[in-house]
Amino acid sequence: MNAIVALIPVSIALLIAGAIAFFWAVDHGQFDDMETPGLLPLEDDGAGPAAHNAPPRCAGRE
Amino acid sequence: MNVRAEGSCWHCGEALPPGDAVRAVVGGVSHPVCCPGCRAAAEWIDALGLADYYRLRSEAAMRAPDPARVADDAAAWARPEAARQALRELDGGRCEVLVAVDGLRCAACSWLIERAVGALPGVTSVEVNAAARRARITGDRDTLALPAIVDTLGRAGYRALPLDAQVLDDARRREARVAMKRLAVAGFGAMQAMMYAAALYFGAVERMDAVTRDLFRWLGLLVATPVVFYSARPFFAGARRSLAARRLGMDVPVALAVALIYAASAVAAIRGGADVYFDSVSMFVFLLLAGRYLEMRARHRTGELADALARSSPAFADRIAGDGSLVRVAAFELRPGDRVHVAEGATVPADGVVAGGECTVDEALVSGEPVAIRKREGDVLLAGSIVVDGPVRLEARRTGAETMLSAIVTLAARAAASKPQLAQEGERAAARFVARVLALAAITALGWSLVDPARAFAAVLAVLVVACPCAFALAVPAAVTRALGVLARRRILVVNPDAIEALAHATHVVLDKTGTLTESRITLDDVHSRAGVDRAAALALAAALARASSHPLARAVAAGAGRGPVPAAEVRVDAGAGISGVVGGRRLRLGHAAYAISGELDRAQAGTIDTALDGALVLADDDGVVATFRAAEEVRPGVREAVAALVRSGVVVSIASGDALSRVAKIAHELGIERFAAALTPQAKLARLESLRAGGARVIAVGDGINDAPLLAGADVGVAIGSGTDLARASGDIVLVDSRLDGLVEARAVAQHTLAILAQNRRWALGWNFAAVPLAALGFVPPWAAAAGMSASSLAVVLNALRIGRANGGRAATGQLAAGRGPPGLAAKASPA
Repeated sequence: MNAIVALIPVSIALLIAGAIAFFWAVDHGQFDDMETPGLLPLEDDGAGPAAHNAPPRCAGRE
Repeated sequence: MNVRAEGSCWHCGEALPPGDAVRAVVGGVSHPVCCPGCRAAAEWIDALGLADYYRLRSEAAMRAPDPARVADDAAAWARPEAARQALRELDGGRCEVLVAVDGLRCAACSWLIERAVGALPGVTSVEVNAAARRARITGDRDTLALPAIVDTLGRAGYRALPLDAQVLDDARRREARVAMKRLAVAGFGAMQAMMYAAALYFGAVERMDAVTRDLFRWLGLLVATPVVFYSARPFFAGARRSLAARRLGMDVPVALAVALIYAASAVAAIRGGADVYFDSVSMFVFLLLAGRYLEMRARHRTGELADALARSSPAFADRIAGDGSLVRVAAFELRPGDRVHVAEGATVPADGVVAGGECTVDEALVSGEPVAIRKREGDVLLAGSIVVDGPVRLEARRTGAETMLSAIVTLAARAAASKPQLAQEGERAAARFVARVLALAAITALGWSLVDPARAFAAVLAVLVVACPCAFALAVPAAVTRALGVLARRRILVVNPDAIEALAHATHVVLDKTGTLTESRITLDDVHSRAGVDRAAALALAAALARASSHPLARAVAAGAGRGPVPAAEVRVDAGAGISGVVGGRRLRLGHAAYAISGELDRAQAGTIDTALDGALVLADDDGVVATFRAAEEVRPGVREAVAALVRSGVVVSIASGDALSRVAKIAHELGIERFAAALTPQAKLARLESLRAGGARVIAVGDGINDAPLLAGADVGVAIGSGTDLARASGDIVLVDSRLDGLVEARAVAQHTLAILAQNRRWALGWNFAAVPLAALGFVPPWAAAAGMSASSLAVVLNALRIGRANGGRAATGQLAAGRGPPGLAAKASPA
């Protein structure tokens, strides 16, 4: 019983923290684009435009 | 992901032109591309270090625009007037701009755009919305350069169009964010409430002491409160609106159920009453919100009318100054009386008349006329039509919001707003249901107050809970949400969920011709050649000349000849007449009869030419006619079967076209459609629709062009062809993403099945009511039984809805579609983003 009295406030605090984090994420556009970020791990080196002068590499025609 | 077939362009996937291909070097490897535009785009992407795009993408790119045009376009945005219109100042020395991006097809495009534009000086953030095909760019006010953005996007192969700053307040983005938050709160709340409810259920068995029980009830109240007061707010707002309009819509029973169950549970929690239902009410709100969220996502996938208008008309025009020089101005700066230079391939910026030169104009999207029309001095040009060969000088007569194009958009918006809200079956049933429950509750209250006033409140509560507005309120959304999901998976996008019911009950189908029934692309119908010259040889000779021109007829000839090019020398294009050149040592001319036979541009001779050659494309040498070509429209794949299936299912099929009577009659005859009307203006199409509707018909309208937009917006169900104009897509209730008309037949089958399931659900809810409510009214139903019954009936309704799309009707239609599907590449290309 004592465990419940301690754990319930903890669970509610976590719930509220989760909700606040989610609201923050939505308001900061984290959910506006659900498609592009899925491609990030497929990038070769994640260098993006910084790789201007990188040596030419194969674009991968599989 | 390899999206490219052999023999097609590395960048855009279109067929390579015969002969020596242009090659682009990407990542040190040389690839064939179709045109200098695509080469420039591919090499530019490589130079930015973004060649990964080709590996990441799942759709081929749009054919890249001509680099010279891109530079021109970009330079125009340097004008302070244009920049002022598009940029919005933010605080902190920043500004933002919203850019409509044409050619944005898959997630890799978003990736590419974010990287390429993000690397520009002054840009702090780039947000790409692939569904809306928009990019929002924020940056430093002093260093962010609009021309650089347009140039970067243009060189990467996209058409970039900064939108008016007024549309920056992105209503859709706000709506999507709020909807997501509401859904999340309802989801969290429902999960927690269920946990506490589970504790209560076990406690009831294990003899939980009263203090612990009350603790869990209070916890339930705590988590359900935000669900009811925050997440369920749209239902309360909707209910208030429909009550204000003196109607009992679908939101009324929902709001009633949520409010009553919550209030009863709260009273029970505070005063120590019979039972609490916080888990049920939270779950109920969550399920309904999930359905609404899916609907909203579907709606957001199609464009907005404002974007559609911006995409159909050019942002800039070349005004001819007093001294004859050209000044590039924003299209909104044009005034009637201005003289404008319209280049070959450009879009006409304002309504006006030809004031110098001649041109061929493609008005297919504006008027539905499939064949490019010759315009001479004094002829009317409409904004939004494309000058196929030019240049031409235009005297503007109507500009900005007064053009025919804007008028069509306004008409479409008005037709959509005044679309008669046929009381939906669901709403009528909801009204009856609410009235009945309230009457029962009143009778119960009255009865008990006479017999035993102390038990009246408990009995009324039991009636309201057992009457189970939940199952009833879930019946329609569950079935409709499932139907939307099933159709979306078959690439039929339902934008307006009300369309499901109208689709099943429709009595008439009105079809547009050009672009809907027939391919806007022209194919060679019959080729007549002089004795001794076979068809293929004649085509090859003509194609050798035709490649030099971008005229639609010339393109059809070039495409008809296929590979195996014959070289041509001394090729000369005489605008508006034809092409001449030396092929295989012979001087040949290709063009309209007078030009080809006489070799002169003099039109006075035209009268002496055999009228049989009128309208035909003639190939001639110095000895006379070698071959004649006639162009015809081709019936699109799947159309024949779809029309036959529609007729079989008992709807009246008719054609309403803006095209000439003879061509409409020919197609109607070919498809076996008896009713047709030709040469209709958008207003006339809408008027026909309204007269049909006045006769009690419920009409499905199918179209693709700008001129169809009012018709689509005003019909009971507007169906837009996916490859059609943005305006048509923004006006329709349903978008056929694969651009195949048989999708309509399939959608109708699913819609009818949905209505059948709906009727079952409603009967079930009704039967449950009839059985349980009298018992509850008499006070015989214990609280646990009421709660269990409520959950069970809701579950039954949801499970029944899941059967949609699994029954035979739906499957048969899928099989038919899969069998008739074109090459996968084509289908993929037609899809948005």
